Order: sequence, then structure tokens, then C-alpha cells
Amino acid sequence: MKEFQFNPNHLYSFQGGLQLKHHKNDSLDKPLTVADIPDKLYMSLRINRGNIAKPTVSLGDKVLKGQVIAIPDTPNGSIIHASSSGTITAISDKQTASPDTDIATVIEITTDKEDQWCKLNSFNNGQPLSSSDIVSAIKEAGLTGMGGAGFPTHLKYKGKEISTLIVNGAECEPYISCDQQLMKDYPQELINGIQLVLKASGAKLAIFALEDQVGGIKSSIEELINKNNIENIKVVKVPTIYPAGGEKQLIKVLTGKEVPSGGLPLHMGIIVQNVGTIKALNDYVVSGQPLVDRIITVAGDGIENPQNFMALIGTPISHLLQQAEFNREKTNRLIIGGPMMGYAMPNADIGIDKTSNCILALSEKMTKHSGDTLPCIRCGECVNVCPANLLPQQLHWYIKGKNLEKAREHHVFDCIECGACAWVCPSQIKLVDYYRYAKSELKYLDFKRKKSDESQIRHELREARLERLKAERMAKRKRTRRRTTNPDKIKLELQATMDRVKKSQKDKDQKDNQ
Amino acid sequence: MNITFNTQSAPHIPNTNTVTKVMLMVWLALIPAMLAHVFFFGTGIIIQLTLSIIFALGFEALSLKLLNKPVKLFLKDFSAFVTALLFALCISPVAPWWISLIGMFFAIVVGKHLFGGLGQNIFNPAMLGFAIVLISFPQAMSAWLPPQEIAPYAMSFTDNLQAIFFNRFPSHIEFDTLTQATPLDTIKTAISQEYALSEITTQPLFGDFGGLGWEWIANFYFLGGLFLIYKRVITWRVPAAVILTTIVFSLPFNAYNADHFIGPIAHLFSGGLMLGAFFIATDPTTGCSSHKGQIIFGAGVAIMTVLIREFGNFPDGVAFGILIMNMSAPLIDRLTIPKAFGQNE
Repeated sequence: MKEFQFNPNHLYSFQGGLQLKHHKNDSLDKPLTVADIPDKLYMSLRINRGNIAKPTVSLGDKVLKGQVIAIPDTPNGSIIHASSSGTITAISDKQTASPDTDIATVIEITTDKEDQWCKLNSFNNGQPLSSSDIVSAIKEAGLTGMGGAGFPTHLKYKGKEISTLIVNGAECEPYISCDQQLMKDYPQELINGIQLVLKASGAKLAIFALEDQVGGIKSSIEELINKNNIENIKVVKVPTIYPAGGEKQLIKVLTGKEVPSGGLPLHMGIIVQNVGTIKALNDYVVSGQPLVDRIITVAGDGIENPQNFMALIGTPISHLLQQAEFNREKTNRLIIGGPMMGYAMPNADIGIDKTSNCILALSEKMTKHSGDTLPCIRCGECVNVCPANLLPQQLHWYIKGKNLEKAREHHVFDCIECGACAWVCPSQIKLVDYYRYAKSELKYLDFKRKKSDESQIRHELREARLERLKAERMAKRKRTRRRTTNPDKIKLELQATMDRVKKSQKDKDQKDNQ
Repeated sequence: MNITFNTQSAPHIPNTNTVTKVMLMVWLALIPAMLAHVFFFGTGIIIQLTLSIIFALGFEALSLKLLNKPVKLFLKDFSAFVTALLFALCISPVAPWWISLIGMFFAIVVGKHLFGGLGQNIFNPAMLGFAIVLISFPQAMSAWLPPQEIAPYAMSFTDNLQAIFFNRFPSHIEFDTLTQATPLDTIKTAISQEYALSEITTQPLFGDFGGLGWEWIANFYFLGGLFLIYKRVITWRVPAAVILTTIVFSLPFNAYNADHFIGPIAHLFSGGLMLGAFFIATDPTTGCSSHKGQIIFGAGVAIMTVLIREFGNFPDGVAFGILIMNMSAPLIDRLTIPKAFGQNE
């Protein structure tokens, strides 16, 4: 485990990064709105990295809000609960709002608008909760990282020695303000949640990181911490530099240490948790309500009335757009997530999931590139902004030349796909696309290589076995042949046989005579 | 599946940077130096610049056409303009017109398009063109004008036109006083005749640090370079490496024999060093991509330049230094792949 000293007055910086116009106030100057219950909910069963949960309900079933409708079939998954009461009207493959825009199994719930809860677990039996109680609560509540990647939360509490909890309230992408809204509206819930997580992880210290553009939120949270006499939560403002809210970058800024390439913060004794996840944990422990809703920002210049909604998981994008006065004519791109890393959705008939932090409707004007795509002139601006210390132009060069192994040598797998390089590229090259392509292609090649290595080994073993059998057969035959080619031996054996025949003849004759 | 929205990949907010902007910025940064050039050496540079732009664009369009590449798209990127400007700033203001023609042919056709066009060239096109005409036509290339302050006769615009196009110089002035070698050339010749540097630099051709006039133009290159760093078109690494290495590397020679070896400051303000440091060695296409590599590249340019100036056959070595380092850039890059985030731990 890496040792580090944390000093709230001495922060570090990471290489690269961008200063972007944050556009957050458009959605923040209105209060949080609870979105209406839609007619239909599309519950995506995709968890993360291609894991898909198995439905536990079938077509026509009546479900209540908070009822488990799907469970993961691997330990690396999280439970999915119905977001509202109603009837299951479809279980089919459908487009999801997941970061990789996969098609996945989607359960369609036609809501009855009653929003009736199922019987909820109760933790309020007066007993203080133990660490393992909280970890199992995390699992039962179906918590995943709500900041973007959707890592199943309970996997972070695997008995590793944890010294520090980092509460990630640094929402670094422009437009997205759901975490900021949450910190503004639910500070008490957050502080309770942080204490639960501290207990679950055994961490001694919680560092609550905010961007320095958040204004008064820091002092209101600090006030609350002081009022409750809590000493192990420190609130820290980090500079608003994209992507300071990225897990690895945030750890670097706070501790000066880098998460080892290919490793997890866990290996450094650090857990990073998004504020949304922490609030959801608190909700489950306090009221037994699993993760069925989240705050989502609806913004962009295609939205007349940008704001944050408390929306049920599975709410169709179109339903939220409508409530935020969506301008269909103006909108050219519909994005789930932020403008730097979000994914453009093909249509609005897609349900949001636990990781959806923002719906962005952007006009053509806002998304238009300034020039044509030209060849790379190797200007190096991408190197200056890359927060992962890579050489994006060299990677682009090698990938374009189909020299993928060279790209691996240049650490393509350390790319966090933040999009900073593509954003500054004067040749307007879609650099991140190249890296995604190289990563998936290399993974596939590795898979194929592993397969072929395995079959190579299998083949060699088989060859060896056949060889051995053949050798054995040959040896046997040789023995036989030696027996059959040695004239003395033949004579002897013939004699023996003759004797045996004679003997048996004799025995027979004797028997007959008797 | 019904697709009603544009599904391009992130980032979704536009990036306002373009190659054209980058190239225009380089042009802008060179304007003060160009004006200083006009002030000290007359209007010849304007004619040379016009010629090289015409030839550069012509060759660019022709190459694109022959290679079946979109002509308009690539002419718009403005890179040929920059090549033309850098070349024009390097050659004598009264060099004959065909110097530009040949220089631009090698720069654009051979140096750039035969290697694959924009972004694919190994050598800086302007320096390649310049080096070829420098080696092939030493006489035409070495006939510079003296700065107008000390010139016996100020060449008018028509005089310049006559000289460039018809090789006709004003007849009432002796040709040898009309044109003169560059300060570095003068030093090289004089030192080979065993004059001491302290004697040589007392000639009116020399100013406070380097050549008269030349040192001022170098100042403007320096300022233009700072502007480019400020505008994030270039980074400080290459120019800083060139300048510091020039000082550090030339100092021991100068300390050993100040009458034979040029001092560090004189090195900086002579010839094409400032232009090279800020505008040519910083060419990203032909330079190094890693930050460490850029420093090695800059240092290499400086070392080659000082070595050629002091021990080589040519008075100035910036162009050769840059070309040699251009060749080494891929190797330097290979040896200086930076550690990715988290690989130090």
C-alpha cells in the first residue's frame, strides 16, 4: 500500500487538462424538480462492462416500486429494482443509455401511476450498524457508481485496508450540475452517508472534494460538519480544470500520488465515491428505499428551460425533454453524459439508467466544428493537454498505420478517453475514436492470441500424446518383430508349440484311454 | 432502430482551433521581423516573398492535383504560405528569381509532397529548399546587401526588381561595394585569413552583438517567438533548448580563444539562429513529440549550428543543424516515450 500524507492546504496538480466554459448555472438557478412518473419505464439490465443482469420477473407480472426485477449472474454486478409500480409489458433487447450504447435486455414497465412501494427492509431497529451490515446494504440497494462508469459499489469494499475515502463532488464536465444540485439540496443526507461509508470501509478520513466554482456549497457543508462535531470529514476545493473530477486525476490532485497504471485506487488504500452514490446509500439505510431514482441535468441550447430533475431510473429521455421544454427543431445531437465524454443517442425513446447524469440537447451551431479534418501536423497541443501523460499524436499515427502493438507500447490503455486531445486538435481529428478502436482491437487480438495459444498448447499436447502412443506401438511391434525374425527363437518357439501340442495330444489320448 | 439525431462521438462541443489559425499566427508573429528586414535591407524581401508565395502555391496546387488530393482544402491550410515566408526570410534580398523557383520546388514538391504532404514530411520544407539552393548556388546566395545605414547606395524598389529579374545592378556603383557578404560570412573569411575576431568586429558591418541590422531582426524574431509561446502555438522547450545550449556550448570555445571563436551572445544574434530557434526548429511535424525529446532536439540544433559555424565550411549552420536533427527526431522520439500516468508508481 502506498503511503501518502494529505494536507488540505497543499494540493497537487496533474499534467494537462483544459479550462472549459462550465455552463452549469443555466440549470442551477432553478430548484430541483421531481419529474412526473412516465407512462412507461425502460429498465436497462446492463450493469457495466457488458455484464447484463437476469430478469427475475416475467411478462405480465405486477411489480411494486423497489421490488427486485433482475439480479446479476456474476458477483461483479448489482441488483436492479423496479422504479415504480406497474405491469411488466415487455422484456426485450433494446437500445440503452449506457456509456457504450450497447443493446441490452430492457424490462418495460407500464406504470400504474400509484408509485406504490413494496415492503421495505428496515434498518431502524435501534442497533448500531456494523461494517458488514453497511456493505450488504450497499449490495441490496443496488448501488453503482453514479458518476459515470457505473462500477458496482459493493465491489469496492472487499476487505482491503482502506485509509481514505474521497467523496467526489467535482463534476468537471460542462453543463452537468446534478451533483452540485445534490450537494446543495441534501447536505445532511450526504454527511450521514459519508459516515456510513467511513464505517463500511474502515477509512479514517473522508476528503470531500468540490470544484472551486461551486460557490457557497463548501461553507454550508462545512457548517453542518462543525455543527455535528465531525472531525474526520475535510472539505476541499480543487481547481476547476477538466478532467479534475476523473478518479485518477482527483486522487493525484489531493494526494500527489498516481494510481498505478492498470491498478485501482483500492490498491492505494483509497475509495472514491460519487456524492450521488453516497446519498443513495443513506436513503437505503434510513428508509429502506433502494436506488430507484437519481438527479439528472437536462440542459443544452436545445432546451428552453434547463434544470435538474429527480427522475426515476428508466424514465425515457423524451419524457424528461418534454418537461424541460425541448426544442426539437433546434436540436441536432442528443447526448447522455457531458459534452466531452458523453454518448450521442440515436433517439429519445431510451430509458435513463443509474449512471445517466445529464441529458444534453445541442444545436448544430454548438456542435459544429470549425474546419475540415486535415492530416495531423503533430503540433503537440494534444500532448500539452493530455492528463494521462500520453503522446496522442504518436498514438494516432501508429493506429492510423495499423501498428497497434506500437500503440500499446505508447500506453494506449492508459488513455482515459477524456477527449481533451480531440478538443484542441487544430486538424479536427476525432482522436478518441482512434484510441477506442485500438483498445478494442487489441483486446480482441489478445483474446484471439490467448485462444490460439491455448489451442496451440492443446495441439502440441495431442501431438505429443500421439507421438508417445505411436512410439509405444512401435516398440511393441519391434518386440514382436524381433521375436519373429530371430530364426533360433522361431525354432525354439516352434519347438515349444509342437511340444505343447504333442503334450496336449498325449494328455487327450491318456484321458480317452481312461 | 430509428435514428433521429446525429450520433457522432464525443467531444460534442466544438473546438475552434484550426491548422489555418495556427499558420496565420506564425505569419503574424513574423511581420515585425519582416518590417525590420525592409528597414535594414530594403524592399527586396517583399519581392522575394511575393515570388516564393507564387511558386509555393503553384507547386502546392500542382502536387495536390497530380496526387489526386483535394486542392482547395489543402491550399486553405496556409502551410505553403508559411514555408514561402520562412524561405524568403533566409535568402538574400537580391537573390535572382530562380532561387525562389528552385527552392520552392524542392521545399514543396520534394520535401513535402513526395513524403506524403501536410504533416508527413521528414524535413522542414523551407530549410530543405534553402539548403539545396545554398549548396548549389553559393555565389547567388552569398551576395547580400549591406544594411542601409552603411550602404553606399540605397537600392530602390525598381533597382531590386532589376537585380532580381535581370541580374542588372545600378551601374554607377561598383558591384563589390553594392553587395557584401553576411556578417557570419565575413567572419569566416577573415578568420581563415588569420584576422582576430576583435579586429573583424570593428568593421562597420557589425553592431553591438551580431551583424548590424541582423541583431535587430533577431530581436524581432525573439519577440515574435514569445508571442507564439503566449498564443500556445509553440512551447518554450525547443527555443529555450536552442538558446541555452548555444550559450553553454559556445562559451568554452570562446573562453579558450576569444579571437578565434565567436562568443555566445554574438552567436545568438547572428545569422538565422533566432529564426531557427523560434520558427523552424519548433516545426512540430519535423520535430520531436515528447517534451524531453523536444529539449534534446533543440540542444542538437544548437550544437550542430555552433559546430558548423566554427569548424564547417559554411558560415551559418542553422539550416543544416535543423535538417540533421529532423533526421534524428524519430529516433529521439523512440527513446523518450514519456511514462504514462501511474507508471512512475
